[in-house]
Amino acid sequence: MSRRPTIAEHLARQGISRRAFLKFCAATASLMALPPGMAPAIAEALGKIRRPSVIWLSFQECTGCTESLTRSHSPTVESLIFDMISLDYHHTLMAASGEAAERAREEAMQEPGYLVLVDGSIPVKDGGIYSAIAGISNLQMLKDTVENAAAVVSIGTCAAYGGIPMANPNPTGAMGVQALMDQGLIARKPVINVPGCPPIPVVITGVLAHYLTFSEIPALDALGRPLNFYGDSIHDRCYRRPFYDQGKFAKTFDDEGARKGWCLFELGCKGPTTHNACATTKWNDGTSFPIESGHGCLGCSEPNFWDAGSFYKALSAPADPLTFAAGAVVAGAAVGVGMSFINRAKKSSAKSAHETATLKDLEK
Amino acid sequence: MSGLDNIPINVEASAMPFGSGNTGAILAELETSLHELLKSGKEHSIDLRSLPLLPGELDYLRERLGTGEVQVEVNALGPSTVVETAIRGVWWVTHRNTLDNVMAEFLEVSFCPDIIRAQRDDVRESLETLSALMAGDHDS
Repeated sequence: MSRRPTIAEHLARQGISRRAFLKFCAATASLMALPPGMAPAIAEALGKIRRPSVIWLSFQECTGCTESLTRSHSPTVESLIFDMISLDYHHTLMAASGEAAERAREEAMQEPGYLVLVDGSIPVKDGGIYSAIAGISNLQMLKDTVENAAAVVSIGTCAAYGGIPMANPNPTGAMGVQALMDQGLIARKPVINVPGCPPIPVVITGVLAHYLTFSEIPALDALGRPLNFYGDSIHDRCYRRPFYDQGKFAKTFDDEGARKGWCLFELGCKGPTTHNACATTKWNDGTSFPIESGHGCLGCSEPNFWDAGSFYKALSAPADPLTFAAGAVVAGAAVGVGMSFINRAKKSSAKSAHETATLKDLEK
Repeated sequence: MSGLDNIPINVEASAMPFGSGNTGAILAELETSLHELLKSGKEHSIDLRSLPLLPGELDYLRERLGTGEVQVEVNALGPSTVVETAIRGVWWVTHRNTLDNVMAEFLEVSFCPDIIRAQRDDVRESLETLSALMAGDHDS
């Protein structure tokens, strides 16, 4: 490790003045959702630590997490953070391919204490044959790579909790990283979960910056998420919260309440049960977040959000009608067929007459 | 500037007559911090990006605080602007990156924000540079 320059040395070598460094630290504190007064502590810490090696493994994923990261809204800070790490393996971003790429990973693994970033879930059914890179199953590759790692950061809901690959019926036996450790399938290491589908770009870099700066795992909640980004629910930080408190709700997506920006709770917003930083950090250059664009929160940073019932059913309504009294479902089955026909007919008639289709119509 | 800046976002003022309630809290925090600055010289800074503000509320704050006598532009890793508000001792600090996107935005309560001051290590290096320059002049 002693061969690697400290981060301050690395920046100084690039001709970055102390004033610029101070600005960088202030922006980094903001990025890490730390109080602005922490900037001097960040400056001091960066003067001591050395650039760590990072291995990024992509398993059952859609590359959305990498897309999110590479579109971070403040390239200067992000590029500096990437200067702070030595990204030795990332099969989407690296120039090398084939055997040379795998060799880069093996070489990086020679020096223990590296950081492993994972996006995507890991299939374990049938010996993990459903996803492999360079002929090595995802499970085997993760097992080998985690062995000498200092810590693992699970980027995205798939790596953190299984995500969409694990959704019912989970054909590949997909699991998240923490679950694999809990079952003893890979070595146990400290894990930071950065869920979201995808996670907010600055949250990814903020968590990395925190780990790199202070060389420690940030304070985590019960689901392994950093509290500085996932400590509050979307609902508690939502600018529409005053409407909830006044009982002003949009009932459809185009009614008076929707136009006035009232609370989307009754349209199925999962804000009250979802912990993430969307309401303050926002998306797309800080432009807005789903609720500000008029759609409820889907709850993508929570485990099993995909199987948690309809995105358009209010939280207080039963999330899954099948868990209701089974007898009622059987008895209602014959009626249900009739109802769906009626609703379909209503949907098309509403379309032709330009009437407002209700949520119930949309769900059938 | 990204293409997104071309999409105007207008919020009807009537939609939220009372706002998020956070602008009042910010003004109150500034008041407390100014007291503290006078009493003990303790500086304070508020990260404007960490608060759930409605569109338009930043403009409202800017309007309430006004513009004072000092406006500084710092070019370090992209432009930064440090603008004293009409409430002297309260500075609006905006850090931008080289692509002109806002990286961080603070309200700072201090007699002079740190980013404006020359940094000790930089001055030490400059002294060496100047001495070397003069030695060069002397030799020629």
